[in-house]
Parts: sequence; structure tokens; C-alpha cells
Amino acid sequence: MYAVVMTNSDMGAPPPPTELPDPAGLVQRIATQQDRAALAALFNLFGPRVKSMMLKLGAGEALAEDLVQETFLTVWRKAALYSSQRGAASTWIFTIARNLRIDQLRRQSNRPYEDLEKVTLESDAPLGSMLVEQNQVVARVTAALETLSAEQRDVIRLSFIHDMPHAQIAETTGIPLGTVKSRLRLAYERLRPLLEDLQ
Amino acid sequence: MIQHHPDIATLMAFSAGTLDRPYATVVATHLAMSDGGRETLRHMETIGGALLTAEPAAELAAGALDRLLGTVGEDQISVTPREERSANELPLPLQPFLPKGLEGVRWKWTGPGVATADLAWGDDGKSRLMLLRVAGGRRVPEHGHGGHELTLILQGAYRDRFGVFAKGDIADHDEDVEHQPIAEPGEDCICLVAVDAKLTFRGRLMRALQPMFGI
Repeated sequence: MYAVVMTNSDMGAPPPPTELPDPAGLVQRIATQQDRAALAALFNLFGPRVKSMMLKLGAGEALAEDLVQETFLTVWRKAALYSSQRGAASTWIFTIARNLRIDQLRRQSNRPYEDLEKVTLESDAPLGSMLVEQNQVVARVTAALETLSAEQRDVIRLSFIHDMPHAQIAETTGIPLGTVKSRLRLAYERLRPLLEDLQ
Repeated sequence: MIQHHPDIATLMAFSAGTLDRPYATVVATHLAMSDGGRETLRHMETIGGALLTAEPAAELAAGALDRLLGTVGEDQISVTPREERSANELPLPLQPFLPKGLEGVRWKWTGPGVATADLAWGDDGKSRLMLLRVAGGRRVPEHGHGGHELTLILQGAYRDRFGVFAKGDIADHDEDVEHQPIAEPGEDCICLVAVDAKLTFRGRLMRALQPMFGI
């Protein structure tokens, strides 16, 4: 039933790349030294993945390329604002790409997200844990996603990567809306012990 | 101290960016008032980061990197832009809808002790963003939900079978939930509400009144 919506590339996500340069360190270098080589490294690392995400939302080739460019222009501009202590670089890049797709693909205002970001920057204490630990958390969550049941993993991907509202996931997969939501909650409960290491 | 939080599934949808603006506004406004909620949101966004990390790499156009490096300039932002704070004490995500604060709301009488105000958001889709004001001790007519309803308390408090909801609390109800909130005695209870369908009021009298209530 999922074949309707899941492309082959969804079925088995590749293992996370090994031997990554430290992404948070790259963001720091962009922030403190306006280091273009660091931007290039970050782009090579995440650009292709951001593009893959944009293509799955129905963006055409040219629009997906544009959105990748926009994402990394924002990374460049806001690198200093993103205090490295606020989470892993991949998490931050995900939120930038998400805000762009709300604005440009869903054609809705991302103002609630921009406003909330300001509130967070002004009021939240930076995270206590070290950068490396945060990257490890993301690596562990990435690995743990593979241990979720296929049902749970599918609803999570359809939501976060394919940008489908829950009602649309229900409609497309033929699963009742309540079941879509309960699978998401169960997936979160599975991942939560790892996520709480962030604090 | 916030006692009532959004459903985890709702926070996930917010983090994924799939909520319509009325819902996203209610969630963002709640999160602006809730330190713990922002912590949980960080969990959701980490899941997004992990999913992005696990994405297969799509091939970028030739010259994509050169294009990027050719565009970046000196326009880095190094300080959080602090905006001129008006007397408007509302949480930031709500301010675009209420530039004059709650004082400037044009209420529409919808029943004894009950008033509403629609907040326009530039789309005539099926979801609505609105304010609901209930005088202390007054009852909101018993209702079930025609769809997902998010209610954030901005001022005052109400009580229903789920407990007392006070400033910053959010009631996140699915369509099969019926409840009958009563505003706590004292100041008016003012809520920010996102709904994706007409609320269904129960009882013949209420059904007759519904067109008049407009909610």
C-alpha cells in the first residue's frame, strides 16, 4: 500500500555517512572566520540531502536547486546567531530547510517559526552538553530510526521528509488518522531516551 | 506553571512544518510561553535533523557550489535583531494578528457572556484562527468537535472534565472529544483557538443557535 507514495529511495535509507567532518565545527568556522571552505564542506555534506528532501515534496529540479542555495545562504548569514550550543548542525539545517519549504512550497507564512526562533534566542539558556555529544545524539537517533517498526518509520518520514499533514498521510496510506497519530507518539516514545541526553 | 501541553503528534506536525498557519500560530504562541515545551520541540527537531542525515544524497547541479560561493557576501547577521517592544505584552508569534494587543480586539457578541473575534490570516481555507472570550463563571455551550481543535489560554482560566486550564495551557482535542468548559470566577477567560471545521454544539437549542453563534 505504501508503494503508492514511497519511492525506492525511501525503502532502505543508507547508513549515515561515516568519517564526517564535524558539522558543528564547520558552522563555528563560518561564524567566527567567515570561512568559505567550511561553508563548502557543509554544503557538500548536507546540500545533496536537502535537495533530496525538497525533491520529495514535489519540487522540480530547478526549484529544488534554488531551495538548496537558499538554505545555505541562510546558513552563511545566520551562522553566528546559531549558537553552537543550541543543537547539532543537522538539526539547525533541517529547520532552515523546513522554514523555506513552508514559505515556498506550501505558500504559507513561516512567521510563527521565525518569531518563535527569536523567543528561543532571547530566552533559552544554551544547552549544557558539548557539541560532540550533540552530534553523537543525532548519530544515535539516526541509527535508532532504523530500529523503529516499518510502520512507525513510514509515518515519521511521510511527515518530516514528505511534508504530509497527518490527514493526508491517513488518506494516502488508508490508515485511520488516529492510528497515524498513535504511531507518531509511539515512535517518539522509542526515541525519547536518546533525545533526553540532549539536556 | 504550565500543566497542559500539546499532543506529541501535534508538536511533531509543527516541527515537520505541516500545520496550517492558524494551528502553527497557536502552537508557536504556546511554545513562546513554555520553556518545557521548547525543550520538547528541540527533541522533535533533532528527529528532523536525524532524518535529514539519513536522506540519500541527490546529485547537485554542476556548478552548484560555485554558485553558492559566488553569492555569499558580507551580509552575516551577528546579533539577534531585537525588535522595538510596544506595550503589546502578547507573545511574539501572536503580535502580527493583534498589533494593538487584546485591548484593540473588535469582539462580536455570540451569546450571554460569550464573545468571539476572527483573526484574518489571508486564506479562506477551512481552518480558522479566532479569539474566544468568556466572562467569569459563564459556561461555553457544550460542544463536540468537527475536527482538530487547539485552544490556548491567554488570560483567566476555565475548568472542564480535563481539569483547570490557565494562562499558557493548551487544550489539544480531537474530533471525538466532548467537553463543557466553564470560565473560572474572576476575570474574563480569553482563549486563542484554531479549528478546522465548525464546532458542533449539542442539543436542539444549541443547534438552533449555532448559526447565530457563528462558531
